[in-house]
Amino acid sequence: MARSTSKDAQALFNSLRSAYAATPTSLKIIDLYVGFAVFTALIQVVYMAIVGSFPFNSFLSGVLSCVGTAVLAVCLRIQVNKENKEFKDLPPERAFADFVLCNLVLHLVIMNFLG
Amino acid sequence: MQLVSACTKTLLDSRGKAAAMEKFSISILLIISLLPFLCSSFSQESPTDRRILVLLDDFSLKSSHSIFFSSLKSRGFDLDFKLADDPKLALQRYGQYLYDGLVLFSPSVERFGVALDLAAVLDFVDSGHDLIVAADASASDLIKSIATECGVDFDEDPSALVIDHKTFAVSEIEGDHTLIAADDFIQSDVILGKTKIEAPVLFKGIAHSINGANGLALKVLSASPSAYSANPSSKLSSPPSLTGSTISLVSVMQARNNARIMITGSLDMFSNRCFRSGVQNAESAIKYDKSGNEQFVAELTKWIFHERGHLKAVNVRHHKLGETDEPAMYRIKDDLEFYVEIYEWSGKSWEPYVANDAQVQFYMMSPYVLKTLSTDQKGLYHTTFKVPDVYGVFQFKVEYERLGYTSLSLSKQIPVRPFRHNEYERFITTAFPYYGASFATMAGFFIFSFVYLYNK
Repeated sequence: MARSTSKDAQALFNSLRSAYAATPTSLKIIDLYVGFAVFTALIQVVYMAIVGSFPFNSFLSGVLSCVGTAVLAVCLRIQVNKENKEFKDLPPERAFADFVLCNLVLHLVIMNFLG
Repeated sequence: MQLVSACTKTLLDSRGKAAAMEKFSISILLIISLLPFLCSSFSQESPTDRRILVLLDDFSLKSSHSIFFSSLKSRGFDLDFKLADDPKLALQRYGQYLYDGLVLFSPSVERFGVALDLAAVLDFVDSGHDLIVAADASASDLIKSIATECGVDFDEDPSALVIDHKTFAVSEIEGDHTLIAADDFIQSDVILGKTKIEAPVLFKGIAHSINGANGLALKVLSASPSAYSANPSSKLSSPPSLTGSTISLVSVMQARNNARIMITGSLDMFSNRCFRSGVQNAESAIKYDKSGNEQFVAELTKWIFHERGHLKAVNVRHHKLGETDEPAMYRIKDDLEFYVEIYEWSGKSWEPYVANDAQVQFYMMSPYVLKTLSTDQKGLYHTTFKVPDVYGVFQFKVEYERLGYTSLSLSKQIPVRPFRHNEYERFITTAFPYYGASFATMAGFFIFSFVYLYNK
């Protein structure tokens, strides 16, 4: 039984890998960016757990910048993905422009809150 | 014209004289009205010659205790001798006290003269004046109740005297061991003076003990462990209630308003006979030519009448380190300096008080900083400390209570504010990773947007 579940897990993982390889490159770039942002946020949380939350506003602004930009990137991915029926009529340039503007506002807020 | 001018001149002269007369009489009136204020009690500002009322049972005490009274007079006191039941007795008139101290050498008085009673004596003490009460074997209930109000309980048995079969004074006449030679003094240079009293003190009278609930009364002269209080002429039917060192022969009390009261069970202790006689302790058999009574009584009355051990603390100042004027508010983590001057009344003038244990607290519901003040030997005490990292309304508190000294209790309020938003350090070191992460995210976003746009 254990062997079969591990074999199933392996089969699942291989099918995921092959499916993912089929996605367009632009989406893969977005995924890479999201991964980078989440990784940076995790580093900050681990650092806060070690050192303590003394300038709490700085901690919040750092984590918010990473999480916020990750969320915006995910929204971009949803809107740009051609397999998504919901956003069929939305031009991808419009989606990218929204992404850039929202990131600008986000980083303005972050710089203010960073102290 | 000239006539008119001459007339006006003479008129003016006479009016001038009248005006001068008026001015003169007004100034006389003013001076007279100020006189009562010049003879006030021991106030910090004018502790000059003081009037003491001495109440006696009969005037023979004036001669039998003449050495004591003349020593008081030579120290500058005005003594007013009256019989205790004199109907014209008055401690105060029109709300002002006529005397600054009261000496009750009238143990057997049942009722004072009309204007004086237990409540009046207690009011006298409550208003800051000093009191000496001496009882003896004939002590009345009135004297005993005055003592009880001051925290000292005399033996209730009216015929009991202090008897000590081991440390009595050897004498030819008195064989019942009621004249005792006591030398168990309190250890205090303030109360009894710097010179050690070598000879024991002769005492013949009734015993008292300090009420256990009273924290302000002190035993200045205690009886030896072999003393007890009982009737010398009858056999003891039950063990005596007061024995040993709990018997106090002379007690003092310093009230919270710094009035000082001395209570003793022996009027003979002040008499010329005891002052002049030699004393030999039956136990130790050392013979002294002169008893310690005169020195003991003189030093103790100096303490009672505030010629020693009366402190005042003035001139509380504080300022930030490096500045000279007093700010209205401090900021957390400021450095500040605190100054206070403490003086002791020496009987004639305010001398600088020198001690190394005065402390100041920086207090807000509990002391955040407690520092010992260092002195420059001239009465100025100062210290430096850093304001704690807590903001609020603090007080500089100096609380000084030592045996035999008046208590000092000063406080000065000062608020402490937190940092203003521009008084923090500009870049906090522990937050550098967060700064770095934010900038890294911005750079990442910039690079990503290029890569995404120009990706074919």
